[in-house]
Order: sequence, then C-alpha cells, then structure tokens
Amino acid sequence: MKKIKTFLVLSACMLVMNSCIDFEELEKNENKPAQVPPSLVLNGIENDMYEAPWSLGHRQNQFWCCNYNYYGTNEYWSNASFASFQSLRNIQKMESEAKRTGAPDINPYSALGKFFRAYFFVRMTQQMGDVPMTEALKGLENPTPVYDSQKEIYQQVLVWLEEANADLKKLDTENDLTLAGDFYLGNDLGQWRKAVNTFALRVLISLSEQNDDADLNVEDRFASIVNNPSEYPVMIAPKDNMQYIYNGTTNLYPTNPGNRGFDKGRYNMAQTYVKALTDLHDPRVYVTCNPAESKIAGGVDPADFAAYVGAPSGENLADMTVKAGNGEYSFANQLRYYGTTKGPEPGVLISYHELCFNIAEGINRGWVPGKTAADAEIYYKAGIAASMLFYDLKDGASVTITEPDEDAPLKTVTVSVTDYLAQPSVEYSGNNATGLSQILTQKYISLFQQSGFEAYFNYRRTGIPAFHSGPGTGNNSTIPKRWLYPTTEKNVNLDNLNDAVSSQFGAEGDNLNSELWLNQD
Amino acid sequence: MNKTLLKKFNSLGPQTGRWPLLVAAWLLTVCAYAQTTVSGRILSGEDSSPLPGVNILVKGTSTGTISDADGNYSIDVPSSDATLIFSFVGYLSQEVMLAGRNSVNIVLATDARQLSEVVVTALGIEKDKSKVGYAVQEVKGEDLVKARDPNPIGNLTGKVAGLTVASSPELLGRPGVFLRGKEPLFVVDGVPIQSDTWNISADDIETYTVLKGPAASALYGSRGQYGAIQITTKRGSKDRRGFSVEFNSSNTVEDGFLAIPKVQDEYGPGDHGRYAFGDGKGSGLYDSDYDIWGPKFEGQLIPQYDGVYNPDETYITTMAGGTVYEGHIEPTPWLARGKDNLERYLRPGWLSTNNIAIAASGDKYDLRFSTSYTYQQGIVPNTQLNANNFNISAGFDFSPKVRLEANINYNKQYTDNIPDVNYGPNSMIYNITLWGGADWSMDDMRHYWQEGKEGVQQIYADYTRYNNPWFMAYEWLRGHHKTDIYGYMALKWKITEELELMGRTQINTYDILRTEKFPYSATSYGREQAKGDYREDQRNLFENNTDFMLTYTKDVTPDFNLKASLGGNIRTFVYRSSYTTTDYLNVPGWYSFSNSLNPIRSFNFEAPMGVLSAYGYIDGSYKGFLNLSVTGRVDKHSTLPIDNNQYFYPSVSLSAVISEAVQLPEVISFLKVRGSYAKVGSALTVPVIGPTPSVTQSSSTQGQNPLLQNPLGYGSTYQSPYDGPSYQNAPVYNTALLYNNQPAAFYTSTITNPELKPSFSSAWETGMDVRFLADRIGLDVTYFESLDGPGIYNLPISESSGYTSALVNGIKTQRKGWEVTATGTVLSNPDGLNWDVMVNWSTYKEVIKEIYGDAKNLDLFRQVGERYDQFWGTALVRTPDGQLIIDQTDGRPIPLTTLNGNAKRNLGHLNPDWVWSIGNKLSYKQWSLGFQFDGRVGGVIANYVQQQTFRGGRHIATVEGTMSDARYADYKGVKNMIGEGLIITSGKPELSDEGVITNMDELTFAPNQTATYLQDWISRYYNTNEGNLMSRTFVKLREVSVTYNFPSTLLTRTFIRKASVSLIGRNLLYWAEHKDIDLEQYANGETGSAIQSPTLRRYGFNLNIVF
Repeated sequence: MKKIKTFLVLSACMLVMNSCIDFEELEKNENKPAQVPPSLVLNGIENDMYEAPWSLGHRQNQFWCCNYNYYGTNEYWSNASFASFQSLRNIQKMESEAKRTGAPDINPYSALGKFFRAYFFVRMTQQMGDVPMTEALKGLENPTPVYDSQKEIYQQVLVWLEEANADLKKLDTENDLTLAGDFYLGNDLGQWRKAVNTFALRVLISLSEQNDDADLNVEDRFASIVNNPSEYPVMIAPKDNMQYIYNGTTNLYPTNPGNRGFDKGRYNMAQTYVKALTDLHDPRVYVTCNPAESKIAGGVDPADFAAYVGAPSGENLADMTVKAGNGEYSFANQLRYYGTTKGPEPGVLISYHELCFNIAEGINRGWVPGKTAADAEIYYKAGIAASMLFYDLKDGASVTITEPDEDAPLKTVTVSVTDYLAQPSVEYSGNNATGLSQILTQKYISLFQQSGFEAYFNYRRTGIPAFHSGPGTGNNSTIPKRWLYPTTEKNVNLDNLNDAVSSQFGAEGDNLNSELWLNQD
Repeated sequence: MNKTLLKKFNSLGPQTGRWPLLVAAWLLTVCAYAQTTVSGRILSGEDSSPLPGVNILVKGTSTGTISDADGNYSIDVPSSDATLIFSFVGYLSQEVMLAGRNSVNIVLATDARQLSEVVVTALGIEKDKSKVGYAVQEVKGEDLVKARDPNPIGNLTGKVAGLTVASSPELLGRPGVFLRGKEPLFVVDGVPIQSDTWNISADDIETYTVLKGPAASALYGSRGQYGAIQITTKRGSKDRRGFSVEFNSSNTVEDGFLAIPKVQDEYGPGDHGRYAFGDGKGSGLYDSDYDIWGPKFEGQLIPQYDGVYNPDETYITTMAGGTVYEGHIEPTPWLARGKDNLERYLRPGWLSTNNIAIAASGDKYDLRFSTSYTYQQGIVPNTQLNANNFNISAGFDFSPKVRLEANINYNKQYTDNIPDVNYGPNSMIYNITLWGGADWSMDDMRHYWQEGKEGVQQIYADYTRYNNPWFMAYEWLRGHHKTDIYGYMALKWKITEELELMGRTQINTYDILRTEKFPYSATSYGREQAKGDYREDQRNLFENNTDFMLTYTKDVTPDFNLKASLGGNIRTFVYRSSYTTTDYLNVPGWYSFSNSLNPIRSFNFEAPMGVLSAYGYIDGSYKGFLNLSVTGRVDKHSTLPIDNNQYFYPSVSLSAVISEAVQLPEVISFLKVRGSYAKVGSALTVPVIGPTPSVTQSSSTQGQNPLLQNPLGYGSTYQSPYDGPSYQNAPVYNTALLYNNQPAAFYTSTITNPELKPSFSSAWETGMDVRFLADRIGLDVTYFESLDGPGIYNLPISESSGYTSALVNGIKTQRKGWEVTATGTVLSNPDGLNWDVMVNWSTYKEVIKEIYGDAKNLDLFRQVGERYDQFWGTALVRTPDGQLIIDQTDGRPIPLTTLNGNAKRNLGHLNPDWVWSIGNKLSYKQWSLGFQFDGRVGGVIANYVQQQTFRGGRHIATVEGTMSDARYADYKGVKNMIGEGLIITSGKPELSDEGVITNMDELTFAPNQTATYLQDWISRYYNTNEGNLMSRTFVKLREVSVTYNFPSTLLTRTFIRKASVSLIGRNLLYWAEHKDIDLEQYANGETGSAIQSPTLRRYGFNLNIVF
C-alpha cells in the first residue's frame, strides 16, 4: 500500500516535469537512415555477391597454396555460414524500398531480386545441401524455419531465373531506366538478362547428376536456353562478363604492392593447376606463374614447361615450407599480381568463357538436340580463346617471363594459340569421355582465381581434374564433399536441422564427407 | 573502553559551557589544599600532531583544564595518586594514573567509530553508519595520496572488499573498476558524473564511499544498477585560525621490471633456420614480415639490413640446412647485436604530483581552493602525460537556515604523445619483443631516417610489416587533449525544524581531441601503402542534472524517528563526436586534412538523451536500534520505446543494532545485523563509447557493437565514458562506403522491439557488523545474491529467418558471493608500537539461471544452472587420460576442429575464486609504516603473449631444456622434434562437441615416432588456448610507505604547522605462474590476455606540509 502511494506521488511529480523533454524525438537514432533509396541497398547486395581472387577458397580450388602455417594452411573447411540469408533480407528491403519510392510491382529491383535470390540460395545449397527456403526470411514470424530439400531449392531457383528473364525482358522492352547503383553491369537490363541466363546454364550443368529428374527437366531447360537466344539471350563475348573491376584507390586488387612482402615466399602455386597447364604446354603458365627458382638456378630454360612446378596441395606443410624456401616451387607471377593496386584483371563472377565450356559440356552430354560435336568444339575453342584473351594471349603475342624476387626479365616467348589448340592433347576429341574431360580441364584452367568455388564444385561433380590430398588437406587426408551447417543452427534451430540432416545423410549425420543429393548418382 | 564510560565522556560536552564556574571552583580549591602541578603534552595518535583543546579532568572531581594550541597543558591535582581523564571529540578517552609522576605526555588514539559515524549514501544523503542496512565501505582520501598510483582509482586497489580495480599497465590506460563483477557508477558530492577515472583529483577527495549493492544505490535509478563509488570532496578548513594551507608533493620513479616477457637472443629472424636480407620487402630469404625462427647467431656470414649493397656483385650464401641464397648484399657476421633490445629501449618512468590547497572558513562561509599538477614520464621514449586540476568549493550561509554550496572541478589532461600498445605494428612490444630479432641493435636504430630520405623513409631491418621503435616514438605521434569540468551548486533551506528543501543543479562535461600523426614509411594493418596519415578524433559530452529534494524529519515519539524525502531530477544529455582522417598524404610530414592524397574521410555522431525522475525515501528508526529504509525511484528514459519508457525501482533495507537492544557478553562491543533488497534496471545505454561510429559497417561487421568499433583496423580503441543511448533498438540501415566509395546500405540484422523493457537486477543481501574487545577487532561480513535479468538480450534466432537476433527481454544470471572485512588492532601503545591490520576478502560466482522461453542452452556448451564464465577454448585432441594424439603423417598434434568443426574443450572458469588484501599500519612515535599485499586466487586465462612469443620463435623456452636440441636441428634442416603422444594405428576417431573421443573402443594406439620441426610443432601446439592456459592467481606487494612526522617541537618556531615525509613504494613484488604478463588488468572474464607494456616497480618520496 505504501509502495503504491509512493508511486502515485512520484508519478504526479513527474507529470509536472514531463513537458520539458521530447521523448519521442530522443528515442530515434538520427545518425543512421531508416529509409534509403533501393540503389544503396543494391550496392550492398552486389558487394555481398563478390568473391575475391587469391582467397582461401582458391587454395581449396587447388590453384595455389599457403606454405606458412602462421597465415594459413591448405586444409579444407568445416562449417559454412548462413550469411547469405543476411543478403536475402537486404534483397527484400531493396524491393520494399523500390515500392516505397513508387515503383510498380515489376521493376528492375524486383527482377534482379529474383536473380539474386537464385544466386544466394545456390551458393548456400551447393555448400551444405538442404537449407530453409519456403519458411525462411519471415523474421520473428518464424524464427525456426523448416529446411527445404536441395531439390526443392533447385526447382524454385529455376523458377526465379525464368521469371527474372521474363521480367527483365518486359522492362528492357519498356526501356525502363530506373535501375541505379549497379556497378557490375552499368544498370543495363539487357546485360543483366544475359547474366541471368548464363547463370541458369551454370545451374543446369551443376545438376548433371540429376539430369533425369522429371521435376527439374534439366536437359530440356538447358536446350531451350541454348537454342533460343532471342528468348534467352546469353553472354556472347568477354565484354559481357559479370565482374568486379578494381579502381586501385578505394577498391584494391587483393594482391598488390602492399602485401607482396607478406605473401612473397609464403604462397606458392598448386600442382593441380600448374600441372594442368604444363601437361598441355599451355602458355597461360608464363602469365600466371613465375618459374621455380631452383629450376632456373639448375639451368632449366624459363620457357621450358619443366621450369614450372606447383606444390601438391595435400603436402605436409612443414615440407612444403622448406621446399618453397629452397625455390623448388613456382610462385604466382609476382610482377603481374603484385605490381599494381588496380591489379592485372577483374574479379570475375560469371563469365563468357565459363559459359562456352558449360554449353560445350551440355552438347557433349547430348543435352542439346541438333547440336553436334562440331558445335561443342566451337564452344570449347571459343572458351579457350576467351580465356587466353583474358591474359592478353593470342597468336603472336609475346610474354616476358620474370623471376620472382626482383621481377628481372628472364626470357620473352612468343605465343601461338593456334599451335596450342592444334596439339592432339588439346584438339577436341568429340562428344565422348575424353572430350568431356578436355572441356572440364579447360574450364578448370579458365576459372583460375575466378567465380568462387566453381572450380571445386566442378571437381566434386565430375572428378576432373583430379585434386591432390594428403596430410596437408586435413579431414583425415580426404577432400570434403560438403560443408557442415553453421554451429549457430545447433543452438537456435536444432529440431529442423536434425530433420534435414537425417533425411539427407541418415546415420552419417552432419558430416564433411557425406554426398549431397546434387551429386548423387 | 566500555560503553558507559564513553557515554559519560560524551556527556562532558555541554559542561564545557560552564568553564567560568569550573575556574572559580578551581580558584577556591587552590587555597584550600596542598597542590601538585602536573604538566605535559598531548599528541594526536593519528599523525602525532599536537592536540589543542583537549579536556583534562581530575577523576572524581570537577577540576579540569584544556590543552593549549601546542597541545601543552598544566593542571594542579589534589594528590600525586590522582587519575587524569583526557577526552576530546573524535578520540578515545584515556585515563592515566599519575602514580607520583608530575609529567604526563600522552597520545590520544582516534576513535574510529566516532569518525566514521556518518556515511554518505546515495544522492549525498548522510546517514548514521550504524543504522545503514546495506554494505558500505569508506576509504579516506588522505590514505591514498602518498604511495599513489598515476590513476586515482588505482589507489583503491585492495581497500574495499568486493571492489576490484584492474589497473592498466599503459600510460593513460583506463583501469577496469568492478564492484561484485560489474561496473559501478561514479558520483561526486551526490551527483553522478561520467568518469574515465582520470578526471578525479585524488588530492581533493575527503572520502571515497563505496556503495556495494543496488540497495545502496537504488536512489540513482537506472544508473545505480551495480552500486556506486561516491566521492566526497574536501571543503573549508577546520583550522582554528580560519585558514590552512597544505602542500603535498609525491615523486616516484618507475624502474625495475615486475612483469616482462623473457625472450631468447640466440636465434635471429627467418624461417626454419634460414634468413638473408634482400630488400626487406621479400626479395631476400624471409626478409619481410618474418618470424624469429632464423639462423643461430654463430658469427657466420649472412646478408643483413646494414650490409653493403653491390649491384655488380652476386654473393652466394649457403644456409646451415643447405638452402642457397644469391643476392647483392655483402654478407656480414651474424651476431646477437640486439640482446635485450627492449630493456635498452625503455627508460625509467617518472611520476610527480604536486598539490597546493588553501582552505578557509568563517562564521558564514567556507572556502577551499586547490590546484594540482601531475607530470608523468612514460617508460617509452618521448611519451608523457600532463594533468592540471583546479578545484574550488565554497559554502555560504545566508542565515542559519539557508545555505549555498558550490563546487567546480576543472581537469585537463594533455600530451603530444602517448604510446599505443596492443597487437600490431603500431606497438613497440609487437615490433621489439614478438617479431623483432636480436640481429639488429637498438642503439644502431636511433638515427632512423635513411640518408637523403629524411622525413620520407625510415631505416629498419624489415620494410614490410615492422617499424623502427625510435622512429615510432619520435615520429608516429598520438596526442591526447581532454578537458573535464564538473561542478554543482546547491541551495539548502531549512524551512522549519522538521522540513528542509534542497535544490541542486550540476553540470558535467568533457571535450576530447585525439590526434594521430602517422608518418611516411610507417605501416600498420591496412595501411600498407605507407604514405602517412593524419587523424582527429573529437568528442564532446555535456550533461546537466537538476534536482530538488524536500525532506521531513520528525521524532514521532521519543523512541521513533522518521525521515522522509521526496525529490525529482531532470537529466539532459548530449554527446557529439566527429572523426576525420586523411586517406594517405600528398606531402610527407605535413599533417593536415588539406594534404590528403585521396578524399578525406569524415564521420559525425550525435546522441541526445533525456531522463525524468522522481524519487523518495522513508527512513524510520525505533529506539535507534531498529532501522528501516524504503526508497523508490521512477525513471522516464528517452532511450526506451515511447510507450514503455517509465519504470519504478524500489529498495528496502533493515538494520538492527543488537548491541543497543540486548545485553551482550562483555567481549562483544558492537553488533549489527542488516538486510536489504532492491530492484533496479538499466535502459539501452552503454557505459563507454569509442571513436565516432564509422561507415565501415558491412554484413561482416554486423553484430559488433557499432559504438565500440575501431575505424582504423589497427591500434587500440580509445573508449571514453558515455552512459548514453546505445541505439540498439533502432530499425535503421547501416551504411558503408564500398565500391568506388559509394554508400551501400545494409538493413539491421537485429529485429527491434517496441515492447522492450529495461534490464533488471533484483538483489538482496544480508550482513553483520560485529566488533570485539572494545572495538579492537572488527568484522564486517556481507552475503549477497543478485538476480540479473531479464536483461536486454540479443536473442540469437536462426539466421534463415533473415535476422541474426531479436532484441528481447531475456537471460537471467545470478551472482552470489561473500565480502568480508576484518580489522584488528594488534598492538596499541600510545608511547610505543601500534599495529593495525585490515583484511579484505571477497568472492562471487555467476551462474546462468534462465535464457529465453524454454531455451536451456546459452550456446553449444553453456547451459542453465552452470557457471556463466566457463572457458570453452581451442584445444588439441587427447585421449580420456590426457595423452596427446599425434598425426602420424606430419608428427603434429591434432586440433579439435580438425575432427569436429564445432568442438571446444572446457578449460576452466575465467573469474577468480576470490580476491584478497592485507593492509598493515604500524606506528612508533614519529614513525609510521604502511604496507599492503593483495591478489586474486583462481581462474584461468589464455596467455597471448606466450602464444605469440612461442609461435614467433622468441620464447625463451625454445632455447632451453628439451626444445633446445630440436631448435638447433631445425636450423640444420633436420626434423628432430618427436612430440610426446600417441598415434592412432587403427580406427577413425570421432569427437564430440565437448572435445571428447567417443569411440575409444574402436581405436588402437602406439607411441608417436614421427619427427617434425620444432617450429611446426609449436605453431600447432601453442596456437591453442589450451597450450597457453595459465592461472589467474597472483600476489602483489602493492604499497609500502614509511612516514616520518616531524615533531611539533621542531616546528614550533616555524610557520609550518605540520610536516611529514614518506618513502613510498608501489607494486614492488609480483608473483604469478608466468611473469611475461601482469595479470592485474584482467578482471572482467577476458578469455585471453592482450599485448601489454612491461610493468615496473614504482618508488619515491612524498612530502606533506601544512602551513
């Protein structure tokens, strides 16, 4: 009773003073915007999509290695992240900000939103398998979403891509110019349409082990894109690449003069990549690698492919360190990759050359009625040529080979792409297993430092090229087949996680070595 | 001294008014009897100063006198067998039998109980300490100004049970201050201030009163959740002349290492025994960003940083392991030129504080003016800290009923350079100890510019990652300029005998400018282009508290007193900050924003806040022995959701002075029991703030507190006191300048909550204050339990919901613990040796009580009912009996995460089991000696200095014992490290999340035979929390002071009233499991230690003179 009285008296006193403070105003955080134009959100999403060259992932793609255990290893991952759901939330916000600022139901942001959804869900499902989708992204309405099967996710992804293409077609026809803030394709909806369909082919190829699934209808979809360029325009030249260009001031190439001193000696090239090149006498090795110092010191000609040696990615790290220090391994071309802040090349997300190899593979697999081995060969060679051009390699081009320490020129070689293509080992051997292997090997080479984990995903799907494993791989010297679910899900969504794990992997549980539905025969 | 006697002497007071009568009586008796005259001198037991005005009475008569200004007295007694009684307010009365003597000198002991009778409680309300129903402990300001710490709050270490001060080893480092494990509020003269503890002037403090629990501080509302440290400033003089002048000077040097990493100087930089300098940027052999795993110093020829460069000559160097290096630098002998580089770099620190205070008082006024200057020389060359403090307090009595009081404190801290010590190339420890080799000599680096490139290019042994320490000290300058002002004005009006009205207004403001001049050719994380920078971090806080309080005091019946009060407070607050930095410089050495190479980057932040409060209390006292106090406060807080922003915080406390009510055995002189309860909340504010929240937010930085982020990516984040809005609950976009410097927006990943309530703590405590043997032994015991929560909790939800967390009222933890203070007078002899001891001991434990809804797990490992401070750390796979499992393919131990990406191991708990101190005060005549030991016991921490010195190859153990041979083999290129442990010969181990092998029955083992390099072994073993785990137990000899009080006989003919000189020492001894770090600063559940400056002993002298 006393308490209540006290409280009443106190409240009365407060009423008197209440007027002097504007509580409603003060609660707001005026330092940050509550509303923004959709273009600002788009900028954030596009940044989230970007995957950098020279990352840990490219060690796991077996393009290069770290031999310095203080900075890292060549071991594989454990847990993946659900961070893509943060990007997906921003996609929702981007769409609602577009609507808030007066856009109609179908607008460039909503069309790209569909593509981005497909992109981020594929990123997650490729890593882990099932993830929440239909119940996801509802905030507190559903803090513990049920997982959707990988197949359901792919079904939905294909629908989103279909719709994105159709919406973009409509908007492009209407000459809608409201897209802003797009640094990948310059707000050009036509270019986005090509990217969407090119990505759709990547997705369909990734489903090669499930090509007979009637619900997905992989082959027909693939064929209808390849055979119907007016309805499904795809990239037609390297200029269509979706890529991140480094401006050298605010966005630096990941390797640059600033970190040469750190990386020098600590990172060497990987055998899987270097050997793929040297086995085929590929001039790209002159561009991307320095010759091994001990080979040069031992009198090997810098132009001799024997001078280029990558470390087996699974090598015991202590041994790799010592060998790298002794100059037995090639380093990434120091002058090319550490010479400038702008870098020698853009960070490629989705490329024309990858598209060529995907179409070639589809044809090789017999997915495209009416297309023959000759068509496959055209795409195969176009892919190689585009990749060569990416490194400024064409007939008659000269490349100066440099040594790694002081970038001193060792030798200049003249390149013939024609001769390269004419080699029996490179010449397309037809729509057979060898031809498929050639396509996949060339695709692997062309993906060097590009497109996130695509190189690994293709290896996982096809076994080509063979990846090296050993003590340095971790995971009992085995290359994992997937990532674990994020630890946080164990805390916050355990029942649904357990259901998804047991329906996918049974007794194996959430295991790095379990096979995803995607790759099951 | 028994109680009846005390009362008797207390009752003497009024009799002094009858002096004329006494004198008359004395005059009469003079004629009547044969007289003996006794004389002598009376000194204060406190500081041996003469005591004027002491009553001297002949026992059993009315004959008496008082001592004069010099403490001398003379009295005629009827017989030489008489007994004299000496009494004086604030001192224990003493009876002395003359036994024939005619000269009696006496030292009167202070009456501790009398002096501490009044205690200042919340809002500055004074209460009789014996009636208070919660834990309060007081420390006298004057006890802390001699053997002083640079930081005023550092002086409180070990003085209060339950208060842990975690002093920082860094210049201007902010100490952690924890009461029962949480950060308390700072209050000056009844009004809260924002304090980084450096803005408090030790010389102006009368008392520190520590209100330990929320029941004590509930009247501060939401700010009083975790207790308070209340400071009462000194006021006008009590000197009979009406004024006094006091001068105090404390001067100490800091010299002699207490804790410093021990490093090896036998092997130089490099990797697996190999090193050759090319250009320091990678063209040599491990000549950039190197470890200290290079060649042994054996005088062999190796190209080095100061070798002659000869482009036309190619020198071939073959390493011990066979590696061949070709280069153009002429090899020179490889010698340990840099032995003890760190010791050669550092210099003694110096701390000098001088204070002069003038106090005056008259019939209607009291005044005090005080000014202090502190100069601290840092142990790092070219670092220092200056502080000026002005404090003025005044009181004026308009009439006996109306009094005005005011106080203002101005504090300025300034320096052109303070060092930055954390992990990174911005720190000397990083450059010299962790990653600096002994191949270069500190003395050779003193002239740090390259010839012809002065101002542009430093000289060092590496041109990639590390920096020349001298260059850093003299060119990379971090200025700190901070002005703090706080003050108040209060009017007290005694309307009637029973009713008093107080009105008070206070301001509290600071201005900070921090600058950084980052020279050309210096590099740090993220600034690898090495083109210099200039930055300014400006912060301003202003707060006003205006309050009134109406107090009613009434003796309702002779046995029942009542005091009730009603008040209100308006708190207005605004914090503004800006942060501007160049993006590299055009012109080297010109530190100006107009010299930015790329567009400057500039950020701003503003945070206004308002709080309206009403409060009241009722204190009832029955017969002085049973006391009840009820308080209540309503806060309406602008940081809370508009419909949900008003809350009531109550407290109740009860005390019973048993010894007043019941006849206790003679041995017990005082006994009080007490109990209290309070419920207090705090509302979406954060105690400290970092630099202007910058635009570096992206998806990856979400979840970090944006108010505490470092905009630079290197260096320590300077945090200033704030106590303002956290804006956690704002549905906004975070923005960042990303591609092409264009803004990108990311919607908050936290689901905000319009229903959010403050975070509550409900605490109760009970305690007992008991004294024995006429107060010679005292014991104060408190037991507390605090249920913290439901708090404001970022409830993690499945990220697939689109959000990482939802802001809810959730999570409850419980802290419970004991605090014991024991005091004892071991020896008490006015003419001889006196010895007082004080022991403080405290313990607490925090347990998870509830999370949210049905959730039983806080994370993968910690569950409801378990300790909150469990340390689940990175570790290595072991068999159940603790043997390491070795990977037979590479001879190294296997981290848990290799087998199970989620796995961690429970390595113990982070908080100490208990904290203790023992303080001693001895005095003998003019001399006194004080010393204190204190420490903490229990708990673990991962020692990061050990981790990095091991991994970098610098740890002394790598050249001692078993590692020594393996290290030499590394250098020779031979794998010789066969780690102790088992290899698995069949079966695949499966590991639970808790790091336990679950299928031991399927595995077979054999002893490990696989050799590896020591470097690779260490890089694995010591890259875990497990490998670097150390006990948090430590002991320090905290302070020692020897004081000589000049006898007044020496001073009588001077203008000096009192003088004392002290020899002082601080932090003289340190014991811990490993002494490469000083554990002092880790008192807040840190899982790992940081990089820190070495700590040193401090000693010097203190001079105190009163004029």
